[in-house]
Amino acid sequence: MAHILAIHSFRGGTGKSNLSANLATALALQGKRVAIFDTDLASPGVHVLFGYTAEPDDATLNDFLQSDAPIRRCAHDVTPEPVRRAKGQVWLIPGSMDSDRIARLLREGYEVERLNDAMFALIDELRLDVVLVDTHPGINEETLLSTAIADCLLMVMRPDSQDYLGTAVAVEVAQRLDVAAIRMVVNKLPSHYDPEAVRTKVLESYGAPIGALLPLSEDLLTLASGGLATLVYPTHPWSMEVTRLAQSLSADILV
Amino acid sequence: MSMLVALPSARLRRLLKAGLRRGLSEVELAALLRDDWSCDPGSPEAVVLLTALRERGWLSQQFPEQIWKTHLGNPVDR
Repeated sequence: MAHILAIHSFRGGTGKSNLSANLATALALQGKRVAIFDTDLASPGVHVLFGYTAEPDDATLNDFLQSDAPIRRCAHDVTPEPVRRAKGQVWLIPGSMDSDRIARLLREGYEVERLNDAMFALIDELRLDVVLVDTHPGINEETLLSTAIADCLLMVMRPDSQDYLGTAVAVEVAQRLDVAAIRMVVNKLPSHYDPEAVRTKVLESYGAPIGALLPLSEDLLTLASGGLATLVYPTHPWSMEVTRLAQSLSADILV
Repeated sequence: MSMLVALPSARLRRLLKAGLRRGLSEVELAALLRDDWSCDPGSPEAVVLLTALRERGWLSQQFPEQIWKTHLGNPVDR
């Protein structure tokens, strides 16, 4: 049975898209068939991490939502070579980077349940093991849908007061929607922070298990979304923690 | 989906949430009605509930699969 992981944050800049792409890669390195939907249609960015640039005739998620393009046409194989050697596969369903298409989507809107239908249609067509949904920050119709249908919600935050407060709102909404599982991910943790103190504070604040504590990394800042850290720096503490998160999800959620 | 969050009834939220993903089969709907609403699918209470939801466009049965699907999302108004 395929599972859906929604990766969400209340505020922008938490590293959610970077995590989504690297987590998808880490799961695919286990031999899984993984799709990642970039539902941040106002500001898509996951494609950058996979080095994917849409050709003129390539369909995007916008084409499915607004032009009835078959969802299979919108799924692009972005499997990195190390993943292919591990017998895994990654498909990306990107958002359009065309300014006219983005503006049209903002102007006209779409039925958000079509995202739900797209995911399950693609699960069946591609025999997927996991669908990751990279969401737009904040509370909106798409993030609410993703939260409602997810097998696990990964809430990404920084150890920042605004993030603590905002994440509480998002977690409350998720609990109201009876999300099956929540895992907290604290990203960009400065080296001088006590991880155990952060772990305790997050657990006490939200009552949800910690999925990962990811360090603030100069190397990731230098990489600047120019590649997948789990492949470029596989033994970096950040990458190893993402890999550990993937293993934990596989053991506890993706069963 | 914001409508789903705003619904004050937890069991109504559960019912409509269950109509997402692949939707509800007849068997699944019957089990949910019994467990959460204490009524059988053909009972007057269930008929009133499902009719009200159908008239609002929130939950309807798709054919030929006979799957009950939730539709709460109007075109996204940004």
